[in-house]
Amino acid sequence: MSEKEEKPKKKSRRDFLQNIGLVGVGSVFAGSAILAGIKYDKKKTPGARIKVLTAENELLEIDKNDTTKVKITKAEDLTLLQKEGREGIAGKRWVMVVDLSKCKNARKCMSACQNAHHLRPEQHHINVLKMQEGKNTAPFYMAKPCQHCDNPPCVAVCPVDATFKRPDGIVLIDNERCIGCRFCIAACPYSARVFNWATPVLEEEDKNKTYNVELNVPQRKGTISKCLFSADMLREGKMPYCVSACPNGVYYFGDENEDAVTNGTTKETVRLKKLLEENAGYRLMPELGTEPRVYYLPPKNRTAPFQEKDKSEAEEHLDNNKD
Amino acid sequence: MFRKHHFIKISLTFLITTLFYLHSFAQNWDIPDDKKTKNANFKFTNQTISEGEAIYTKNCMSCHGNLGKDNSLKTLNPIPPDLASVKTQERTDGELFFIITTGRMLMPSFKVILSEEERWKLTSYIRSLNKKYVQIVSETNTSKSNLIKIKMDFDSLTNKLKVDVKANETSGVVSLKDAEVMLFVLRYFGKLQIDKTVRTNNEGIATFNFPKDLPGDKTGNVDLVVKVSDEIYGEVETQSKFKAGIPTDKPSLTEKRAIWNVLKKAPIWIIITYTSIVLIVGAVLLYIIYSLMKLRKLGNN
Repeated sequence: MSEKEEKPKKKSRRDFLQNIGLVGVGSVFAGSAILAGIKYDKKKTPGARIKVLTAENELLEIDKNDTTKVKITKAEDLTLLQKEGREGIAGKRWVMVVDLSKCKNARKCMSACQNAHHLRPEQHHINVLKMQEGKNTAPFYMAKPCQHCDNPPCVAVCPVDATFKRPDGIVLIDNERCIGCRFCIAACPYSARVFNWATPVLEEEDKNKTYNVELNVPQRKGTISKCLFSADMLREGKMPYCVSACPNGVYYFGDENEDAVTNGTTKETVRLKKLLEENAGYRLMPELGTEPRVYYLPPKNRTAPFQEKDKSEAEEHLDNNKD
Repeated sequence: MFRKHHFIKISLTFLITTLFYLHSFAQNWDIPDDKKTKNANFKFTNQTISEGEAIYTKNCMSCHGNLGKDNSLKTLNPIPPDLASVKTQERTDGELFFIITTGRMLMPSFKVILSEEERWKLTSYIRSLNKKYVQIVSETNTSKSNLIKIKMDFDSLTNKLKVDVKANETSGVVSLKDAEVMLFVLRYFGKLQIDKTVRTNNEGIATFNFPKDLPGDKTGNVDLVVKVSDEIYGEVETQSKFKAGIPTDKPSLTEKRAIWNVLKKAPIWIIITYTSIVLIVGAVLLYIIYSLMKLRKLGNN
């Protein structure tokens, strides 16, 4: 023992300082290790754990520090889409003109519309009707979308504010709010609305898509669907699906405030007032006071005759006024 | 008997020949020779092809279908051909350009809707599936169009717009005589042509009558586009803002109080009736409770 006791006494100052240094470095390492340990332990305390609900509806507990906020794009942001859908496009008053003299029943508008809005084959946002108004009058084809009335009866009867009129004139439906009461179908004098009685066609493919109020996709069983004037396309400065799909130049679309409408086929832009004045433009059932935003030009000077095979269907309209 | 048959045969043959002639006549494009040999003054590249494709999708696809898929709209008369077909590809670039420019029968003219450059880009897309195609690039001087200077001047008193077209040649400033000038107003979906297409006079000036009732923005400004096309200098387009329209600031369509509008914009009579019904019913209920309490007090006494 005495030898051992003597040894430290023999240590020089250099040795002493050397040891101090070693101890110092060691304690720094040890300290930081302890600190890291405490930090790690802190993470594991139950207070920092949060509950999350997975897409599969499973409630999980997870450490808060392990979570990252999911960044969503505009197309995935339901709240933003709903807000934009209600606000519309400022300063616009959309208007459509249907020139009946050019319609040859190509039905391209209908297929383009059904593809865009994922509709079943029997559902129509736009429908080309075979019309005959009187016994001695000529039958004609008439494309009929939603009239986007300025005094919409369908909106007035909705009990849940699911269907609404936008400042730019478009009448839209928010399927997130729709309860499927079908009051609006009963109120619409133009039969413009359809109901999703059956499972929508692309339900599986659309399963994970965020609902876009301006496109009404994904369609949902038990809710209403109808023509939207392709509000999503208008936002991009493009014309509605039906308008640009027409091969016969039937449709004009534009902004009433600009007094200009553009033909979907020829892309020619003309003045709205002049077009309606020169061709005796009219609206459907004006006596109801619904103030439609869709104008029609009469079926005069037609380039193609009414097809023989469609005549019987057109004559069905005459049954009501037999005398 | 024989003669009668013969007569029918002859007349039938005559009829068929006439019809066939008329049919083939309908299929023919009357293209002037000098237009047939016209060529684009830039090389067709992947860039021009993809730009041409966008123009094709917007303007041509509804009738001609997808290029090379032979799915054009067969119900039309005459049937619009698939533009990748041999018959179309045998045409020269100038012929295709002429057809796009002028149109005929069901085919609309794209002279006003597409610029010359866009029409050539469209041609480049139509050529894109043809592996044998070799482009001939026009040797005309393309830089000539850079020399053109267009000056617009709007007179609000007479509502006339004067367009002055000059070219800064090295020899001095030259007025462009007899150049074709078109005036447009930009609208949301396209360009609205104002007045007719006019040609410049000897001083290089073209005058347009501007309509007095054309809506502009809130302050009456409209975006005007002038397109000048000249045989030598090519096509040039300029855009500028003028206070030529009527100031337009129409209220939104949901501004008015109406039964279909949101709660805040409900008609006054609905608000008054509804509130008074609620108040009256509430008051009646309170009165009943008050009376019952009074009755109880009376009973206790």
